[in-house]
Amino acid sequence: MKTASASDVLKINNLVPKVGVLKEILDETPDVKTFRISTPEGERPFTPMPGQLGMYSMPAIGEAMFSVTNYGEDYIDMSIKKYNDGVLTSVLHGLEIGQEVGIRGPYGNGFPIEQFKGKDIVFVAGGIGLAPVRSLILYCMRNREDFGKLTIIYGGRSKEDLCFKDDLFENWPKVPNTEVFVTIDRPQEGWDGHVGFVPDYVKEIAPNAQIAAVCGPPILIKLTLPILSQMGLPDEDIITTLELRMKCGIGKCGRCNIGSCYVCLDGPVFSQAQLNDMPKEY
Amino acid sequence: MSNIQNEMRAVAKELLESGKATVVLGWEKGTMPYDSTPVMIRSAADVDKLIWDEYCLQNLSTYLIDFINSEDKVAIFAKGCDTRAYNRLVHDKRINPENSIVIGVPCSGMKNPKVAAKTPAGAEVPMANACKECRYPNPVACDQKIGSDVTPWCTAKDFSDVEAIEAMDADAKAAFWKEQYSKCIRCYACRNICPACNCTNCIFDQSASGWCSKDVNASENQFYGVTRAFHVAGRCIECGQCEAVCPSDVPIMLMNKKFIKDIDTLFGNYEAGLVTEGTTPLNSYQVADPEEFM
Amino acid sequence: MKTVEKAKLDGFLGQLAQKYSVLVPVDYNGLTQFAPYSQVQEGVSKLYLDGNVTVSPKTVYLPQSEAMYKFRAQGKKLAIEEMPAMDKQQVVFGVRHCDTKAIQCLDKVFLDEKFEDPQYKEKRENTIVFSLACNNPKATCFCESMGVDRAHAEASVADVQVYEFGDTYGFVAVSDKGKACLDAVSGLGEAADKLPDQKPQEVKFDPSELPAKLKGMFEDPIWDEYSFKCLNCGTCTYVCPTCHCFDINNKIRGEVGMKMRTWDSCMFAEYTLMAGGHQPRQGKKERVRNRFLHKLQYFNEKHDMFLCIGCGRCVAKCPVNLDITKFIKQVIG
Repeated sequence: MKTASASDVLKINNLVPKVGVLKEILDETPDVKTFRISTPEGERPFTPMPGQLGMYSMPAIGEAMFSVTNYGEDYIDMSIKKYNDGVLTSVLHGLEIGQEVGIRGPYGNGFPIEQFKGKDIVFVAGGIGLAPVRSLILYCMRNREDFGKLTIIYGGRSKEDLCFKDDLFENWPKVPNTEVFVTIDRPQEGWDGHVGFVPDYVKEIAPNAQIAAVCGPPILIKLTLPILSQMGLPDEDIITTLELRMKCGIGKCGRCNIGSCYVCLDGPVFSQAQLNDMPKEY
Repeated sequence: MSNIQNEMRAVAKELLESGKATVVLGWEKGTMPYDSTPVMIRSAADVDKLIWDEYCLQNLSTYLIDFINSEDKVAIFAKGCDTRAYNRLVHDKRINPENSIVIGVPCSGMKNPKVAAKTPAGAEVPMANACKECRYPNPVACDQKIGSDVTPWCTAKDFSDVEAIEAMDADAKAAFWKEQYSKCIRCYACRNICPACNCTNCIFDQSASGWCSKDVNASENQFYGVTRAFHVAGRCIECGQCEAVCPSDVPIMLMNKKFIKDIDTLFGNYEAGLVTEGTTPLNSYQVADPEEFM
Repeated sequence: MKTVEKAKLDGFLGQLAQKYSVLVPVDYNGLTQFAPYSQVQEGVSKLYLDGNVTVSPKTVYLPQSEAMYKFRAQGKKLAIEEMPAMDKQQVVFGVRHCDTKAIQCLDKVFLDEKFEDPQYKEKRENTIVFSLACNNPKATCFCESMGVDRAHAEASVADVQVYEFGDTYGFVAVSDKGKACLDAVSGLGEAADKLPDQKPQEVKFDPSELPAKLKGMFEDPIWDEYSFKCLNCGTCTYVCPTCHCFDINNKIRGEVGMKMRTWDSCMFAEYTLMAGGHQPRQGKKERVRNRFLHKLQYFNEKHDMFLCIGCGRCVAKCPVNLDITKFIKQVIG
């Protein structure tokens, strides 16, 4: 089993968060907001690799792990879905610009960038699952010459539930050698795009890719991975992310283990080949 | 004892072979001579694992919760206290009487395994604390019975230990319980073995709710202990399992007995776990109920 | 070796207590654990050296509840303040060999080179361990099978090796810290180095094939057989000297709060329950399996050692006598 090496992750010796400031809050969908976070000195809190995670907290309420969907010179972006039974996400959704929050990271292995280089890539995502995949898409676009054709297949429950609409409909389709396919689960007034579930759409499009990155609700992952296998992708090149309850983020508190792997440390990114060797306990 | 053991094996064999039961829950010999531990038998060939000795302390009725929606037909062996637990669980609708068979076993009182662990082999081991005060050594209800009834060695409840605490002044009481609950490690063994603690979702499993912190200190631990005592008040069947399994030797039954004493005083003598329906003192209201606290 | 008569142990510990914070095994109203020697001096607890304590010395390095940092959240402002450093070195007297091995397991987790745990590390570096060899193992002890050397405590953990001979204790410094500590005490006797007579352990097996065997047993019916009687209480995990899972939560008074690290247990439902309700380990079977496999397979895959050191606490304290040694012997065959 591949474990994160010291060079994969920035050395952080601490479970104590830094103070971050909310610079911008964007409404993505009715229940997803993107939080732009800087340090009080106006710096980037940390430099994540695509797919890495950050521990975001309101110390008086709680702390939880989210993927870092994007970063700039002086900020990181985390897109967070509000769960009705989630105390922390409900509070986060009520915050205003200028709020100071706790932030620590980056954690986890991130996507294996080297493995993606030079290949035609299909990105498959559903709902908030686009957040981690987007960090990889943006990386590929910033280093466009290092990667082959980019095919992005994304779906949401409805038109309103689609995250990152500017990217999907404005920015990404303009990028050279890039195709974007968007679908929603059920027909809806004012939507003339594709209707249907993501795994079926993947089958329909049958993208000619050499490597895939898949992220979304468990059912999407479960149904999409076999389709990619049938398309002839080797297990090593079918890449997905897992999510389990986490507390420490650094492989010590115990709860996010799957067999001898910790999702926070050895994941959240795993290949189908790695999953084949792991107990089905996630 | 060995007669009862032989009868147990014969009954288990008959139930499994006839298909009247698909599972039999009894006791088998554990690691130490003073460990008799639950065993689940599914095949008549395994009935010789079953034992009956003076350490078959653990109540098996609570395992029926795991079978509430099961296709299995489950037979359990039950001492007097275990049948009270069984009634309590039926009363709380947490087990299914339709898929369970209770085989009553009269009991002469079990020995105290904690004392046994510290006693040299061969030396006399006293009765378990709860057993010393047992008034129901014979099954109070069962589908079939083995062995013959024993004569109860206690007829009235003994509250002398509760009275000793009541006699203390408020500061001494507070100091006593603080000292005891500072030992609690919040493993929840007392809760999880208790037939009255059968909630599907306990408040102490919801740390995000803020009701009780996971911070282990005398104050939070007492909040846990007192809340649990309140919640089993009027439902505690006095099996003493909570105290028997406590790794920290907190005198948990002392608090449960205080509630039993108060219920008896306020609402008249009450014995939990003798019936499977109807109201209990703390979930019914009568105009004549005392309410001097109002 | 240096020696102290048992009758004069109080004087010895008293001398240490003048220079260090001294922790000793005590019996506190029936609960045996490590506690400040001052409790013994004040008569609150009794020194307990007859056997190993129920609550292991992992509490010295990973207390059941520990403050991680303070915070003040006021309107939009947030201030975070780390905890003060330890002000004094501490001595832990009477840690058994099995428990020194357990601390070596904890080191693998908390002194991991990628993410060292500074609070753990600070305590490890500022603690002097007097490790006491057991002459009379209990019937539940199986440390020798799990690779514990009954003659010599784990070298990376112990600073002073302690042996018990009749009415005296013998001390051999095994680290520079330990030597400095012994040198600071006056009135010690001298004797030739020797080993005490140690009674053999009753439980014996060879676990070397376990990790490989268990790797193919994730779906084995053995898990139903063993887990049915588990209560899913936390006793085994809380008395275990190597179980180290923790939760992070708050203690808040108004605007000021303290982030606490508290022990957690893989036996509890909440441990893995996700926001949204997903539960990857549904019940007893999944939780017992995860705990046993963590101890006997997963930890080996990561660190090449078992996460069980054979102290037998879980065997002795489990309310339903779910005996890991019985399981191990059945798997070995």
